[in-house]
Order: sequence, then structure tokens, then C-alpha cells
Amino acid sequence: MIFTAPLGLLALLAIPAIIAIHLFRRRFPPRSVAGLFLWQVVQQTPQGGGKVTKLPITASLILECLAALALALILAGARVTPASVNEHLVILLDDSASMAAINAQNQSPRDRAAQRILDEVERFGRGVRITLIQSGERPAVLAGPAALAIETRPALERWKPQAQHHSLALGLRLARELAGKTGRILVFSDESPEGEMEGVQWIAAGEPLGNVGIIGAQRTLSTDAGKGTISLTLGNSSTQEAKRQLRLVVDGVDGKDLLAQEISVPPRVSSMNLSIPAGLPAVTVALSSDALQRDNDVTLVEPRPQIVSIDNRLPKGRGHDALDRALRSIAGVTRSEQAQLVFGPASLLDPPPEPGVWRVGFGRAPQRFLATGNPQDLIGPFIPEKRHPLLLGTTLAGVVWAGALPVNLSAVHPVLSSGNQPLIGLLGSRPDDGILFNLDLDQTNLSRTPDWPILISNAVELRRQNLPGPERWNYRAGEWVRVRLGHDPKGPLRFRCGTITRDLPAARLIEFTAPAPCLLEILEGEEVAFQLGVNFLDEKETNLSDRVRGEFGKPNPKAGGLLTESGPEADPLFWSLLAIAGIAMLANWCWALRSEPVSQRSQA
Amino acid sequence: MPPIRVDWPEIQRVAAAFRLAMPRSPVGGRLGERLGSGTGSSLEFQDYRQYTLGDDLRHVDWSAYARSEVLAVRLYREEVAPRIDLVLDLSRSMTVTEDKGRAYGELCALLACACASTEADSRIVTGSADEAQRLERPEQIERFLSCDATLSALEEQRIPLRRRSLRVVVSDFLFPHDADVLVGRLAREGASLALVQLTLPEEADPSVEGGRRMQDVEGHGEFDLVIDEKAVRDYRERFGRLRLGLARAARRAGASFSHVLAGTPLRQTAKALTTAGVLESL
Repeated sequence: MIFTAPLGLLALLAIPAIIAIHLFRRRFPPRSVAGLFLWQVVQQTPQGGGKVTKLPITASLILECLAALALALILAGARVTPASVNEHLVILLDDSASMAAINAQNQSPRDRAAQRILDEVERFGRGVRITLIQSGERPAVLAGPAALAIETRPALERWKPQAQHHSLALGLRLARELAGKTGRILVFSDESPEGEMEGVQWIAAGEPLGNVGIIGAQRTLSTDAGKGTISLTLGNSSTQEAKRQLRLVVDGVDGKDLLAQEISVPPRVSSMNLSIPAGLPAVTVALSSDALQRDNDVTLVEPRPQIVSIDNRLPKGRGHDALDRALRSIAGVTRSEQAQLVFGPASLLDPPPEPGVWRVGFGRAPQRFLATGNPQDLIGPFIPEKRHPLLLGTTLAGVVWAGALPVNLSAVHPVLSSGNQPLIGLLGSRPDDGILFNLDLDQTNLSRTPDWPILISNAVELRRQNLPGPERWNYRAGEWVRVRLGHDPKGPLRFRCGTITRDLPAARLIEFTAPAPCLLEILEGEEVAFQLGVNFLDEKETNLSDRVRGEFGKPNPKAGGLLTESGPEADPLFWSLLAIAGIAMLANWCWALRSEPVSQRSQA
Repeated sequence: MPPIRVDWPEIQRVAAAFRLAMPRSPVGGRLGERLGSGTGSSLEFQDYRQYTLGDDLRHVDWSAYARSEVLAVRLYREEVAPRIDLVLDLSRSMTVTEDKGRAYGELCALLACACASTEADSRIVTGSADEAQRLERPEQIERFLSCDATLSALEEQRIPLRRRSLRVVVSDFLFPHDADVLVGRLAREGASLALVQLTLPEEADPSVEGGRRMQDVEGHGEFDLVIDEKAVRDYRERFGRLRLGLARAARRAGASFSHVLAGTPLRQTAKALTTAGVLESL
């Protein structure tokens, strides 16, 4: 006899417990009476406890012990049939969208892979154990680990490849972990493996197909011309020019195409621009059907320009003019006294900042930021905080940094310094507390170097990035989406992408990964705060010309199979024990019922 | 329980002086040798009655006419052969102890002798399953006294009693029942009914015994009980209600009810039954 759960034998402790109950049970001397009903009492308080007497071997004791023994053996998983060794197939499924590309017979690599898996399961018989892993940036187990063969078909029906191009390495690592020393690893893909893989049987179920898909898309808005443009990059994986029907559909306008035309797509990569009116809501560009459906359409949202209002409050002179010149070369800015970005003398950094107004001060800093010492002219070496966006693209070559006053290091967070002298610094932890240029604009040559417009542009772009709204309006699936709300959320934040809805943390800055191609809506309470376009745009998956069919490598010859236990219902001992326990309990119940007084029975 | 043995010489010595009492109501049965309570054609003078037309002139008392010049007719007692149904309770409760079994045997034997003295058509009724058996001789009753049934004959739905028969029921009546219903069933269409309850003294008046496993002798369950003063008080109250119910029901049905305690000398028992109107002295 085998015990699959030996701890269950602890239940045998019930037998001494039953014996103890019978041993210490209160027993009065028997008295035969003719009219038991006349002695009937509703309730009588027991007087004293039981006493140890010779254990009476009653039917009740025997039946109770028998039932306890049978149940304990069931709990301990008593078996008479030993465990069997079964084949364990660990199958990695390539979840990239190209696996769903169909050929002229309407058959996809996914269909062929599924059929092959079912054939393998049938070949190994009902006892085979299956682990199905779906590849991806985060591999997932579709069935198993070591699921029964019967679970294979439902799991395969759930497998609908639509991910973007990704490496199978993570999935393969998971497969190796789950296979251990007992599993055979099979990989189903439509590509050939990169190099030789030991102990892995790689089955490529793909085939080269011609396919046209959108591999790049952009929607721009020209505010001056009052029109928008959709720029498409198309990929054609065949060697011949392909003709496709192209449609532009405006979101929310049913049955009405903005544009419908036939286009010729040359082999490999080509691009095209489409003009559309400005101010339209989301537009879907769709190509007619071909091998891969996933790359045939994109949804693009019109970007809303983010204009930064700027005020130049520097005193008239060389610095003021230099700033004006730099600002004129920057697009997407406007001049306003109610500005979002104010350039002026460093003295304006003294009062606390107003909400939404960033200040950039030049020259002598307010007294509380200064240390004792005299101004210095510096020619370098300059030490930049390289990754800070304010200094991106600057070299400061040949710059004479004039009039740099000693600054209190505890009050200023340096972005650019020379020795221990901060030259550009943030007055707090963030730029909106104020930016100090510790610089005399009238004496320095910085305003005449190429670094000057770059610095000003960086400051403007830094401000622009912090304006409310998304960083971009159209994304590729899997890209990081970053949206700045500009106020505290008025309700629960979540996004909706097709059928996917997810809650977002309540914060001014929302960050998440674009889940799948869709018109993504960011909801603040029940209101749609922003609409963003998320598209497939995957050149690797669109190109179906290099797909292959064949088998590579061999499964691990040392795979010894998985030691498995069949369910208790397969063991005759289980049913025997169950029957014994059931009969014993029933008999004991009948026995107890017989011993019960007639009057109590009739009351019941 | 071993079969009940009866000391017949002792029984017959006591029973020789008694017979079953006849009721005043009409008794069923063919013409016989037993004097009935009504008028008949026996040789035993019963009463005078004024002569009416149609009376047999042979019964006119001419001597009386000579003395009083009134025509009077002599009436003689009737002679009947009554039917007697002796209903026996053969449940185990009647032999719950040896004493009770012995007393039951003696009581049944006494009544059997009384039936024989009555010169009646006596039958023994033990239950619905068996037909009533004729009692030819008193000694025959011994073969009926095997008390091993789990139910009394009185608890059965149908009791095979004859019309206008004299009915004598012997039981301890220690089973749940409705006295009015039970006595009504036993008295229906009968000439008379006598209920004789036989119990042990400790069944009638138990004492404090402490903890006991109370087991129904007929297998109707068991339970633990501490027989304390309260339990005894409650029992006496219930037993009293049971006896009172039977006595009242018997009175309502025109029947007699007597309670016999096991262990009472037989002669004393016979006298008590005579007092209750079940027996009469010869």
C-alpha cells in the first residue's frame, strides 16, 4: 500500500479518541422497565462525570473505529496502484502576430502549430502531461504546469497570437525551468532559431508570404496652414508591387469614409502623405485585407500643439536682445505678460513662485542664495550634469562665463558648475522653483555662442514638457505613455482600450504601457480627459518574407518523464474505503436510532 | 424469560370458591345451565309479577290467590351459557421480573378457573394475528403464557372480541394509550368488561435508586436516568394519571377496573376481584 499524503495518517488519532470516549462514557447499571414512557424526562442535569470501567466492545465502538480508520486511510491517500511515469511536454508558443498570418488556404502557422501539438498529445497517449507557455515580454503559462492532456485543446483555443515582435528567450527560460529534468521542450514559431539550442525541439510552422502593412504612422497639424497630414510608412514583404484599397474613416462617423482610394505599394518600404482637414477627431487608416490583419490599420489622434507663453523681462541691453533672438528661432511659443515661462534678472527669483509660472533668472542672485566672495570670470573646465534636459546638446566650448558670484551650495542644486562654483542651478528640487543663471549677460560671450539658443530652447522645451497633456498623442503598442494632468484628479483615473479597462493611480503624472492597438481613452471619473492612438506598427512582424517551416534540434534525450499520480478515483482501494466508511457510519446511525427511546423518536 | 409455571393445586384450592360474576345486562350465548340475571325458565324462583293475559296459567300461584285474591305469576331466573373473552397481554412487560411473571400466571390461572366454574364458552384472546382459542380446561391457559411479544394485544388495531360477550382484560396497561379510546374499543358491543391491571409494587410506587440505564423491556429504546426524588415524584404522578384515566374510562363505559399488585396472596387477590365485581363467590 502506498500513501500519497502520509500526514493524513494523523487522522488515525481519532481511533484512540473514540476508544477514550467509549471508555470514559458514563454508564449506569441497566434496569429493564415495562413503561419506559412513564420515566420520560425532558431534561436532566448530569450528576458527576464518567468513570473508567472496562471498555465495552459495542457495535457502536467497532463501527466508529472502522469508519475512522477508513477515513484516515482515505485522507492519507492510501493506494494499491503505484504512481506512473508520464511524458511531460513543455511547449513554448510564439505569440507574435505573424503566427496568425494566413495563406491562400486560410491556414496560419498558429493553426498548424495547434494541430501538431494535438497530434503529439495523441501520440503520447492520455497520460501525457502538458505545459503550454505563451511567449512575450512577460511569458505566461496557458495550461499547466503539467496539466492533463484533456486541457490542451481548450488552452490552444484561447491562444490568439497578436503580440509585437519579441525575443523568445524569456519564454524559453521559463520553459526550461518548468521542464526541469523531466520535460521535453518544444518551441513552436514561424521563424528559425538563432543558433543551436540544446535540448530543445524547435518546430517552425511558418511560410514566406507577401504582405502589406503599415509600419509607421504619424499625424501632424499645421496650424498656419490649418490642415493636418497623415504620414504613412508602408512595408511590402513581396517582391512585386501590390495594390491595396486605402480608406480613411473618421472616428464616430459611421459609414462615411473621409478618403477611399486604391494605392500601389512598391516592394520593401515606401511612404506616403495624406492631407486631411484640421480639427478632425481620431482617424482610422485601413488597408484592404491580406495575410496579416494586425498591421492593416492604424488609428491616429490629432496632436494638440502645446504653446509655451514667454515673457522677456530682462532689462534692455545686450542680454535682452540676445534672448529675443533666441526665442524667435523657437517654434510653438508665444509672448505674453501672463507667461508660463519668465526670463528676467535673478532678483525676480526672490519671491515665492506663482503656480504655473517658471522663472529663469540671470545675474546677481538674491542675497539668501549668495555666499561671501567676489564675482569671477571662468573659462572652464565646466562640469555639467550630463543627463539634465537643460544642458542637452550644449558643449560650452570657448565660453567665457563672466560675473559668476559665489553661491550658497545648500540653497542651489547645481546643473552646471566650475569647481565648486555653481553656474546654472535649480533653486529647489524641481525647475518650477526657479532656474538661476549665475552669469553677467553684459560681459559673457555665451549669448554669442551656438550654446545660447540651445540653452534657451532647452529651457522652453523643459517647460513645454511640463504643460498639462500627454507627451505624445500617438503611440506604438507596448510604448510607455506619460500624461500630465495639470491638476489633482477630480475622480478615479483609468484608461479604456477596446475591451481592456484598467485603473490608474491618482496622481498628476500618469504613466503606463500602451496595452494593445486601440483608440485609448484616459478617463477622469466618467469624463474622457484624453484620447490617444495606439497602433501595432511593427516592421518585423509585417515582413513575412523570411518565415520558415521545418524542425530544428532534438528534445532532451535525458528527459525521464514525470512521475505522476492519477486521481484517487482511479484506485479501487479508495472506493472500497469510501464504501466501508459510508456503511459503517450508516450502520452506526441506525444502531443509535434503535437505541433512542420511542418517545424521543416520535418527538423528532 | 422461562415459561410461566402455575401451581395448580394451590390455584384450584383458592379458585374453588369463586366464579365469574354475571352482569345484569343481557348476556349472549345459547340456552344453558348457568343462571342469568334476567328471567327465564329455570327452577329457581326469582320474583312475583301481576298476571296479564297470555301468561302461562301453570305459573299462577294459586296459594297466593287464595290468600290475597290477586292473580300473581311466579317468575324464575333464566339459565344461560355466556360467552367469555379472556384478553391476555402477552407482551414482554408482563414478565419484566420473575415475580411479575409468576403473579401474572397465578392471576390468569385464577381467572381461567373462574371461567370454567361459570360453565361458559370461554375463549382466550391474545392478539389480532391469532384467532381466539377455546378454553376447555383451566390448565390449558398455561400454554398461552409465553410473554415474548413486543406489543400488547391491546395496542393492536383489531381485537377479535365476540358480540355480547363477557370480557376480562388482564394487562399492566404500561404502554402509551388514550384510556377512553382503549376502554371504548374493549367495551364495544360487549355484555360486560372487567379490566384487571397487574403491576409490580415498584412499578406502582418506585423508590430512589440513583443512576440507571433505563431499558424498555419491549425494545422501545433506552436512556440514562438518575432516579432521584424528583424523577420518582414525576413517575408517581404519571402512573397515577394513567390509573385514574383507566378507572374513569371504565366507569364511563360501565366496566369494572381493579389494580392487582404482584406478590399479593392469591386469596386476597380473588377477594379484591370479587369486591370489584369481576368474580363472585359460589
